[in-house]
Amino acid sequence: MEQIKITINGKECIGNKGDSILKIATANGVYIPTLCHFEGVKDYGACGICLVEGEGLPKLMRACSTAAADGWVLSTETDRVKKARKIALELLMSDHDGDCVGPCSLNCPAGTDAQGYIKQIALGNDYQAVKIVKETNPLPASIGRVCPHPCEKNCRRRFVEQPMSIAYMKYFAADRDLHLTSPYDGVTDGTVFRGGMDGKCGISIPPTYKPEVKKATGKKVAVIGGGPGGLTAAFFLRRNGHEVTVYDAMPEMGGMLRYGIPEYRLPKRILHREIAEIANLGVKLVNNVRIGGEASPAAFTGAEVISLESLRKDYDAVVIAVGAWKSSSVGCPGEDAEGVLGGIDFLRDVALAVQPYDPEGTLSRPINIGKKVAIVGGGNTAMDACRTAVRLGAEDVYVIYRRTRNEMPADEEEIDDAIEEGVTFKFLTNPAEIISENGKVKRIKLQVMELGEPDASGRRSPVPVEGKFEILDVDTVIAAIGQKLDPTGFEELEFNRKGIITADEATFRTNLEGVFAIGDATNKGADIAIAAIGEGNKAALVVDSYLNGEIIPYKKPFVSERDEETVKKELAEREKAARVIMPKRTPEERRHDFKEVNLGFAEEDVRKEAARCLECGCHDYEDCRLIFTARREEICPARLKGQHHPGFVEQKLVSIERNQNKCILCNLCIRTCDENAKKGILGLVGRGFTSVIKPEFNDPSVIAGCKDCHLCADACPTGALKIIG
Amino acid sequence: MMKIVVGQGSCGIAAGAGKTYEAIKACMTEQEPFELGSTGCNGMCFLEPIVDIYDGHKLVKRLVNVSADKAEAVVSAVRAGDLSGLSEMVIKPEDEEFLTQQTRIALRNCGIIDPEDIASYKERDGYKALEKVLTSMTPEEVIEEIKVSGLAGRGGAGFPTWFKWNAARQSPGEEKYLICNADEGDPGAFMDRAVIESDPHNLIEGMMIAAYAIGASEAIVYVRAEYPLAIIHLNEAIRQAREAGYIGQNILGTGFSCEFRYMAGAGAFVCGEETALIESLEGKRGMPRLKPPFPAAAGYKMKPSNINNVETFANVAWIILNGGEKFAAMGTENSKGTKVFALTGKIRRGGLVEIPMGQTLRHVIFDIGGGIREDKKIKAVQLGGPSGGCIPEHLLDTVIDYKALSATGAIMGSGGMVVMDENTCMVGMAKFFLDFTSKESCGKCVHCRIGTRRMLEILNRIVEGNGKDGDIELLEELCYSIKDGALCGLGQTAPNPVLTTIRYFRDEYEAHIGEKRCPAAECRDLLMYYIDPDKCKGCTACARKCPADAISGTVKSAHSIDPEKCIKCGTCKSTCKFDAIYVK
Amino acid sequence: MSDCCCKDENMKALDKVLDECGHDAGNLITILQNAQEIYGYLPSEIIYYVASQTGISPARVMGVATFYSQFRLEPVGKYLIMLCKGTACHVNGSDTLEDVICSELGISNGQTTSDGIFSLKTVACLGCCSLSPVMMINDEVFGLLTSDKVIGILNDFRKKAQEEGGTQA
Repeated sequence: MEQIKITINGKECIGNKGDSILKIATANGVYIPTLCHFEGVKDYGACGICLVEGEGLPKLMRACSTAAADGWVLSTETDRVKKARKIALELLMSDHDGDCVGPCSLNCPAGTDAQGYIKQIALGNDYQAVKIVKETNPLPASIGRVCPHPCEKNCRRRFVEQPMSIAYMKYFAADRDLHLTSPYDGVTDGTVFRGGMDGKCGISIPPTYKPEVKKATGKKVAVIGGGPGGLTAAFFLRRNGHEVTVYDAMPEMGGMLRYGIPEYRLPKRILHREIAEIANLGVKLVNNVRIGGEASPAAFTGAEVISLESLRKDYDAVVIAVGAWKSSSVGCPGEDAEGVLGGIDFLRDVALAVQPYDPEGTLSRPINIGKKVAIVGGGNTAMDACRTAVRLGAEDVYVIYRRTRNEMPADEEEIDDAIEEGVTFKFLTNPAEIISENGKVKRIKLQVMELGEPDASGRRSPVPVEGKFEILDVDTVIAAIGQKLDPTGFEELEFNRKGIITADEATFRTNLEGVFAIGDATNKGADIAIAAIGEGNKAALVVDSYLNGEIIPYKKPFVSERDEETVKKELAEREKAARVIMPKRTPEERRHDFKEVNLGFAEEDVRKEAARCLECGCHDYEDCRLIFTARREEICPARLKGQHHPGFVEQKLVSIERNQNKCILCNLCIRTCDENAKKGILGLVGRGFTSVIKPEFNDPSVIAGCKDCHLCADACPTGALKIIG
Repeated sequence: MMKIVVGQGSCGIAAGAGKTYEAIKACMTEQEPFELGSTGCNGMCFLEPIVDIYDGHKLVKRLVNVSADKAEAVVSAVRAGDLSGLSEMVIKPEDEEFLTQQTRIALRNCGIIDPEDIASYKERDGYKALEKVLTSMTPEEVIEEIKVSGLAGRGGAGFPTWFKWNAARQSPGEEKYLICNADEGDPGAFMDRAVIESDPHNLIEGMMIAAYAIGASEAIVYVRAEYPLAIIHLNEAIRQAREAGYIGQNILGTGFSCEFRYMAGAGAFVCGEETALIESLEGKRGMPRLKPPFPAAAGYKMKPSNINNVETFANVAWIILNGGEKFAAMGTENSKGTKVFALTGKIRRGGLVEIPMGQTLRHVIFDIGGGIREDKKIKAVQLGGPSGGCIPEHLLDTVIDYKALSATGAIMGSGGMVVMDENTCMVGMAKFFLDFTSKESCGKCVHCRIGTRRMLEILNRIVEGNGKDGDIELLEELCYSIKDGALCGLGQTAPNPVLTTIRYFRDEYEAHIGEKRCPAAECRDLLMYYIDPDKCKGCTACARKCPADAISGTVKSAHSIDPEKCIKCGTCKSTCKFDAIYVK
Repeated sequence: MSDCCCKDENMKALDKVLDECGHDAGNLITILQNAQEIYGYLPSEIIYYVASQTGISPARVMGVATFYSQFRLEPVGKYLIMLCKGTACHVNGSDTLEDVICSELGISNGQTTSDGIFSLKTVACLGCCSLSPVMMINDEVFGLLTSDKVIGILNDFRKKAQEEGGTQA
């Protein structure tokens, strides 16, 4: 065979005369992207992705089907090729009507593969489910209990009846993985179940999932702050083989999960177990150490002081995840009076008093807040504070909120729980003055508000009704209206105008070399726990790349998403199946103690709930050649948004579900069916943009042969063909 | 003997020539001193129905716009031998110029011979070239003669004909095919239809010469299904030619054998692309193949094949008889011979025009075509249909030459020449062509299938007044990438109408996008209809015709249009006798 | 074929076509054209029958039948209006004519009137550009059309259909 020599992207390639450019490139280790080429099937030339340009050759050529000529100098990266390939991918994506991943995952700040773990839960593989969760979140039992679950807000099941109960399913599975049947059942402090035979049933139970830790890199990372963000960063950095130490000013790890979220929502032994799993990987956890300056908040008093500078010296990288631990003040006259507390200060004080790991959740010391308590604010901290106040014995608990329930940022469920527990909501009121006697709070004067015209964001802002006030007798006022970072010890860092650390949004870098910052202490300030976890795992990736010598910014991966309106219409006729409701202790029972309110799902219910999943994300996401190829380029299909080709989902092929919405008409299914399977069942129908692929056969022997073949599904570059049954 | 000949091409029939013929026949008695005959189309479509009166072979009078009611007068005049009474019908001298300014080679017999009678063709040297080739020339000499002539593919690309013939001749293999692309898909071109309808033997002869040159054993015409009359005439001509021994086994006793047949297409523009045409010939979906292999190596049934268009073949017999040099003497440096154009649109004298290459567009449009109807201003001329482009007024002095026309961004094309006046919206024109190409895209490659669709969507939103800043640039970006990435000629040239209109009429795009205004006052969504109260006589005609009940007013007082109700159908404007309705 | 009015008779006609075309896959388009001549459209039974008789897979026959604009999978009205939308016709106002036909008949492109008299189909080019705008009803071409002229022609055909009675399909 005559040999020829060509150059592709600067690399000299040897091949046989008559071979295609693609064949020679592949044999010589040069990657040329293509979607419609498939080994063993005749070339077709549909996708236009494999274009190359040759020096001195006028037209771009399809690498898959052009025989190379000796001496050609080719490139896949000239301006012309890149533009044509980019347009091809944008065109394809603009016409590809499918969801890469479920909208649940897309709305999760940590990007947790909810659909993936729900599927495992539906199959009864709770351990497998936890393994999936822990690819993004090391604290599923804790987060499953407290997360305001943005995933559920996006769940498509809402177009049928109600969203899936995603968060609670997660904690069910995580409890199983921790071998807990109830939060207080048979668990001794800190012990970790290592698997073995179940004494009662004689079945083998897998051990608690322990992720693999890569070979030691010899690099050291310090994480400042043991909250969800810091712990997550530590967890993933450790998994990559780095030596990680987490420093925290408080006596225990967990940050706001430990000291902000009340025991009745998240029993601390659960959190403790999950943190123990992180420690188990070899992450060093050091408590009672703080950075620099005066101790603030006061809770940090007594902690050992070290400087950021010394950490920078001793470690290859530092991740700052200190959170926002200072309560914002009410901002009205009289706020300095005794009995006016900050929301998170109050919650922390209670958390320190609640006996750790006590199933009854009793207090180690009394906390006196009186009988009448007013909480200012409408967020989850306000809900935590008011419900905690109820549990401390307050008889009249008010929530003062300047808008109405509709505008409250707190979770619906939290509000309902608070109402059930007897909290009184004073909507459309705002503190005008705190009136005290002898320096101690006595009353609060409320300005009555009304909702004005919607502002630019569409939210109706409250305006005072002139001269209209209300007065409440109160013993304690708790301001749950916001929280701030205490910058003490971090003076070298750059802060924004609000006094928050400035970190690059894609790399988490601060102004100091090797110092990264995440979570509530940075950029936009305080957010929910899962957001901190999301930053923790992204920062771990970036810091890992930094430690490997070249920083790779985090980039949100491009995904294909379906139009919600289309989906809504499709789901209108779907059979309904009600959301399983979390069983809870009665309000009468629970308002007197700090025991967990949720009773947990019964297994039967959780399987039923998991089976409701619509599986919006694509089954082929991991192997999809389309999205893989699309992500190699900077593409923006939105600018070419237009009509989609005719789509439908059908099961005419006995064991294959065909989703024409996702089809890119590469014809590989038709071609494999013709050339390899020799069946000729599939064919194109129509012409041009409206053409679709449809099976057409009426011979029973052909149908039988089709059933077990699946060659078409193997060749499909996207998720248009799915093997079922 | 006198002879009345009625032109009965498709457009003649559409204009009523069939009825005229029947009426003349009905007026005739059994014994007449004259004959009645029919011919094809002489290309003066604007004067149909046309009746020619011959004395022997001499044309004595050409009568135009002869509707059936004039049959009686024609018959009695011819019968009496006194044609002076027909002067009303006789063609005007200036209209005669339409023909006298032309040089006809491909169309030399059109409108002169009876297409259904091989004898009529033979009277005009028909089949002499084939006889000459088969008896006195080697295939190589034939190819050489074509090379000398400089004949290039008339389908649009302008590839040298001899080169393709030679490639097919040189290609190894016993079984070869000669194919004629008569799938005239350019919406606005009808030269090929006219040739097949009016002079089918010329096509057959040209093809048989080519078949001999390349060594083909079968010649096939792939003809558009939308041309029923052409198919009838071709079918009859094939029968007659076979009977006369010009096709089949051992032709003229020379030992050369070649079968001949036609296949009717089924409606797909993409089949004008040669590999798609071959797929279609093989009974498949007309989707282009990957090239190479080229048809010369592996075409129809994967055998060496050569494909040329109708007009190309229509020149062949003439070249053989008159010599390649005589053909090459006409035209320009790189474009030899003549070219046929289908001159249409807002032109005064529309029809078929065959002229030597090298003349200017202005000459064709103004001298031959008589300029623009209603003396409006010419805006542009479109050449090459969906693959071509719009050439603006200021470039009308461009000569007809493959290179010169390509330089404008348009192409020579197959011969469609559509003239546009000031009332034609150029964005609308681009939209029209993209609507066409996106519907005709076979759907195989991404760039064409989705790309033309997206371009159409963008153009649609522009003409609907929803265009956005950046749309022009986005269109351009799409255009260049589609040209580079599309698999076949259809996709690669589909952006041309958009690119040329953006190049020459960018201001119109900008007016649509920025000012939501259509300068040509054609885009319905951007128009408002108004009644000029000074001109309105209150005749109520418009109000009565308005389908949307949008016009109100009392008799003899000025009317007005309710913009809320108006559906912008334009009925009022065409109804008004006082020119009182205007559009802005 | 159970729905077909006169199965055997019709199949005989198609068999003749198949014989003439040598049951050859290469003649599929011609076979389908003839089949459509016979049945007025291509019912799915015919698609399967042609497939079985030519050895082409049904998917392939379906592919060809839906690729070319000439083929119809649904019956058409007694009179098929083919409105030319070629370039010259476009320049001379064929869009308006389409509106007129649609509003006059109460159908849109590709549809058939409920009485089964008219079907409307726009076509690329009829090649009668000099007489644009043009339409063809069955085999008859009408040129130099205006809105009024079109309405008149439609009325003539409607009258003719009523006189003859009955519809095709």
